[in-house]
Amino acid sequence: MRAQDLVEQVPTVTRQTTGAEAARVVAEYRLSAVVVADESGRPIAVIPGSQLFGLVLPRWVRDDRTLVHAYDEKGADEICERLNEATIGDLLDDEKLTASKPPSVLPEDTLLEIASAMDDAHTPMLLVEDKEGTYYGALTMSRVLAAIATAAGQDSDLIRRRLEKDIILRGTPEQSGPTREAP
Amino acid sequence: MSLTAVLAVVVFAGAYVLIASEKVNRTAVALGGAALMVVLGVVRGKDVFFSEETGVDWNVIFLLLGMMIIVSILRQTGVFEFVAIWAAQKAKARPFRMMVLLVVITALASALLDNVTTVLLVAPVTLLLCERLALAPVPFLLAEAMASNIGGAATLIGDPPNIIIASRAGLTFNDFLVHLAPIVLVLLVAFVGLAWLLWGRRLRYNGERAEAVMQLTPGETISDHRLLRRMLVVLGLVLLGFLTHSLTHLEPSLVALLGAGAAVLVSRLPSEDFLADVEWETLLFFAGLFVMVGALVNAGVIHELAQSLTDTIGDNYLVASQGVLVGSAVLSGIVDNIPYVATMSPIVHDLVGAGGDLPPGQQSLWWALALGADLGGNATAIGASANVVVTGIARRNEHPISFWTFTKYGLVVTAVTVGLCVPYVWLRYFVLA
Repeated sequence: MRAQDLVEQVPTVTRQTTGAEAARVVAEYRLSAVVVADESGRPIAVIPGSQLFGLVLPRWVRDDRTLVHAYDEKGADEICERLNEATIGDLLDDEKLTASKPPSVLPEDTLLEIASAMDDAHTPMLLVEDKEGTYYGALTMSRVLAAIATAAGQDSDLIRRRLEKDIILRGTPEQSGPTREAP
Repeated sequence: MSLTAVLAVVVFAGAYVLIASEKVNRTAVALGGAALMVVLGVVRGKDVFFSEETGVDWNVIFLLLGMMIIVSILRQTGVFEFVAIWAAQKAKARPFRMMVLLVVITALASALLDNVTTVLLVAPVTLLLCERLALAPVPFLLAEAMASNIGGAATLIGDPPNIIIASRAGLTFNDFLVHLAPIVLVLLVAFVGLAWLLWGRRLRYNGERAEAVMQLTPGETISDHRLLRRMLVVLGLVLLGFLTHSLTHLEPSLVALLGAGAAVLVSRLPSEDFLADVEWETLLFFAGLFVMVGALVNAGVIHELAQSLTDTIGDNYLVASQGVLVGSAVLSGIVDNIPYVATMSPIVHDLVGAGGDLPPGQQSLWWALALGADLGGNATAIGASANVVVTGIARRNEHPISFWTFTKYGLVVTAVTVGLCVPYVWLRYFVLA
């Protein structure tokens, strides 16, 4: 199996998207990362979902993790509202989010090359771009692992459904729903 | 001046300029300078490790190392965060009362721990409290940085310059408590008054927001009650070890190392947990610095400097101590006070000797050096490590403190605190001695 067989169209966000909206996109589509695109739709960053947790936490809490315990439920909810105040662009500029050049593979790359790229970049999502830089879509960790499991002889209905084309924008494998538009 | 002396001065001055410029890593400069001194034959390889006068001062290095390990474990208990939030609630979240309590806590903690650790612990919790109260945190952070420099002057272990002075002057923990703690207490009271004038009178109380502070749960910040109890016992024993030096004759460095060993044993933490906070770079910086200053001593430069100073001041120690006090304050505001004190200590040693039983007039020079160097650090944003750390934290949290903002307040605080030390030194060591 090659990257072009596993590529999916994933929703993208822009620099103007707020942190809260980005979190909603990740949650709605059960993504492990979110792709940030520029005005022309070209991906400029891949932000792992785990880094969005860092956005919820004020800097002083990240400097001193003990302080998270000082907030009660109301205080914690108030802090989460801060996600509405900053955009992905602000956050990228402030280096609160590490998003170097998005990691990518070629459409013809094999499972081993994909696994190597993901392992090397410590990312749950890769972009698929050809040598000219044309963007094809993204590879998600769950789909790559589904392909690896299949290659290793593991098979099930869920795995087969996971490998169907463009499943993300049609709804999740476990809960199919109406076709969703990317924001 | 001999060729060796000239070489030593050139290397030392070059290194000093590089350290002051902050363009090159200061540890690299200190180690590079030390290596040059050895290569040029100004200091012998054997002296680097084994000479008490011209080599690495292991008392200082191991005292710092021991305290860093103890603090590293203690901070993991969350006790500092607990105390700060508890104090804010005791102050009913009234901004100035809260500022006073945070200033007192910072000064007290700085007297027992190093200043940088103290502000690293107090600044994040201050940002949390200010966010809850919708207050600008800058006045609080400035007050805390300055309180840490003032509080650190009170004890032997409070500020690295004091550790160097204690080792070079043969002064004990109790000597520092007797000679510096009383004036630091006065300075702290004066600083609270200054804090009202500089910031406090403009702080506004917001009852609605105060409720957000009262709802915080400080007890939840204590991560491990058993570890906290054990660590408080260890810290208490370490302080007892410092206080009973005249009975046990245990060097402070040994007390700190024994305390660190005990802390490691009772905490049962993996080594990476308590070694990660040890500032190895700082320890190496000190080592390199000692070798460079040792080379100046070896080459006779320090003796010549001290001799010319003796010729100038004769036995007028009053003028000398006031000069050292004010001069040290001015210089420490401009350059790092650690290399300054490391250089000045052998000069003062040559001038008046060492030991807690020196006549008051001569001893006053050591105390003037400590007060000047510690308090002078408040003058500018780069005068002390705690200032650099606080301005860094403020910047990361989107509340930048410019160099001039810090300096504007820092100069006032330094002028007042050093101004109060001038009559103290005069009265205590000359009029009432």
